[in-house]
Amino acid sequence: MSPANSADRAAIDHGDAVPPGGVGRSAPQPSGTEDERSPHPGTSPAIHAVGLTKRFGETVAVNALSLTVNRAEVFGFLGPNGAGKTTVVKLLLGLARPSGGEALVLGAPLGDRETRRRIGYLPELFRFQALLTAREVLRLHCKLLALPRSIWAAQERSSLQTIGLFERGDDRVGTFSKGMQQRLGLGVALLGDPALVVLDEPTSALDPVGRHDVREIIRGLRDRGSTVFLNTHLLEEAEHVCDRVAVVDKGRTIATGTLDELRGRHGSVRLRVTGLTDGWWHGLDRFGRPRRDGDWIVLEGVDRSRIPDLVGETVALGGRVEAVIPEQQSLEARFLELLGER
Amino acid sequence: MTSTWTIAALTIKEAVRRRLLLAFLAITVVIVGLSAWGFDRLSHNNSITSGESHLAVPDALILFMFMFSFVLALSASAIASPAISSEIESGVLMTIVTRPLRRAEVLLGKWCGLAALLAGYAAVVCALEFGVVDWASGFVPPNPVLVAVYLFAEGALLLTLAILLSTRLPVIAAGVVGVAVFGAGWLAGVVGSLGNNLNISALRTIGDVGRFLLPTDGLWHGAIYYLQPPSLIAQQLANRPKGNPFFAQGAPSWGYLLWVGCWLAIVLVAALASFERREL
Repeated sequence: MSPANSADRAAIDHGDAVPPGGVGRSAPQPSGTEDERSPHPGTSPAIHAVGLTKRFGETVAVNALSLTVNRAEVFGFLGPNGAGKTTVVKLLLGLARPSGGEALVLGAPLGDRETRRRIGYLPELFRFQALLTAREVLRLHCKLLALPRSIWAAQERSSLQTIGLFERGDDRVGTFSKGMQQRLGLGVALLGDPALVVLDEPTSALDPVGRHDVREIIRGLRDRGSTVFLNTHLLEEAEHVCDRVAVVDKGRTIATGTLDELRGRHGSVRLRVTGLTDGWWHGLDRFGRPRRDGDWIVLEGVDRSRIPDLVGETVALGGRVEAVIPEQQSLEARFLELLGER
Repeated sequence: MTSTWTIAALTIKEAVRRRLLLAFLAITVVIVGLSAWGFDRLSHNNSITSGESHLAVPDALILFMFMFSFVLALSASAIASPAISSEIESGVLMTIVTRPLRRAEVLLGKWCGLAALLAGYAAVVCALEFGVVDWASGFVPPNPVLVAVYLFAEGALLLTLAILLSTRLPVIAAGVVGVAVFGAGWLAGVVGSLGNNLNISALRTIGDVGRFLLPTDGLWHGAIYYLQPPSLIAQQLANRPKGNPFFAQGAPSWGYLLWVGCWLAIVLVAALASFERREL
């Protein structure tokens, strides 16, 4: 396991949000015009929270959380059970009121009614009207979204096809399995081509095929320009689809960035080399900490951007390089490391 | 406002599919059928005079309507107590309230849908019961429409109270409290009647306070008044009834009806505020 680089650690230590383009930069404050606030002039972030706090009596569920989620990215919100992930989702959707801090969702204050028209939401606890058919549930949400009547049928059809329930569209929800109800929930969240889709543990009831389908749906949403806020404790899920992630624990963001940034730029490199003369490590130890491992040389703490230089130096020392295997820390290992650091 | 009607229509559709209406209508038809036989026997009984029969039929009808009023009150509490709380507990409301509508529209939609069901039930019950009584005995209450309106209003008050409770209490607690409050209101009315006839001011005060705090008993007495023919009122007054809870000397005053309207508005606004402030 390699330590995080210093900038990354600075961000972690201060619990700061990490805006795109730089690990460890402090999050911009939500004041001034929308463009001034935005890391991308011309568009506001999909979600921008600063110091968001939620207390339940003496318990602090969300502790001065700061976060920026860009448009058209899949953002993973990771954390152990009880970390405050669902509470954050509820704050962002206006289901609960923050005790402190502020946030903008699609450029609007929390709970803004008109903005909710552009947000799709699949709750962790997904239940729908058991006595309605899947098609009727979708139609109900078309009405509540105030979509033009002329597109209801197309929206229903498209949604049912996307979630793989077209054949069951006229069956009552009460006859659906839990997994089918979760698919329906996803279909409901997709209605009206939302700019932001918030998915709270979207694969908790799904089989492997369903999980694969959901990943495809999430990628499709990103491709068409929607932002996906994926709240999950399944790291594999995040590794498959997320552009960036935030790790939250005890209500605070403890790390934010791309998966590569989160794992850190430093890792170990395994080299299979023949022909090196004694004292070879004197030439290689400036790249990392070298050691022998049978036929392999292992260098730990290597900056991945310097791997080509490392290979060049090995050749210059008279070695014949047969294999180079960069080893990156797994997200799970990094995740556990981060939680252990708290 | 469109969302309010959407939620109201959804509420009615779910009640219909839950076979709630069917169950109520079935039991109502059975009871009305039995009452038809009873009223027929009462009207064509040689052991009582036609004069006695003319007084007994309205008396019996009041008792039957009291039973329907009780069913309506219980139904109002039963269908309204899960309206918000059970949907929060199950998670059904989560996807609804995150749509671009006010929480007030959700609550008002549910209120409208349930109130429409109550109004329909009150109208059907009154039409069936008054129809069979007319067929069996030829008696028609002096103002059958107002009887239905008072019964519905009584149910609407409990419906509104149960929805308020439902925004904060679990389903069973909201239902039980709604029914208990209705029972307490009726009992306060009986105590007040006794206080009137026995001239005991403390009992009279209990009745007055009860009718003020929960006007269901006051509305029930409005329904009773419009069920009584003038001959029955005269006979009751002549006999100086001792706390008869099934007799009304007069219709509710306009002032009292105004208070009923205010009571309903206050409880409904409290329900809206409570739901609006509730964190989900």
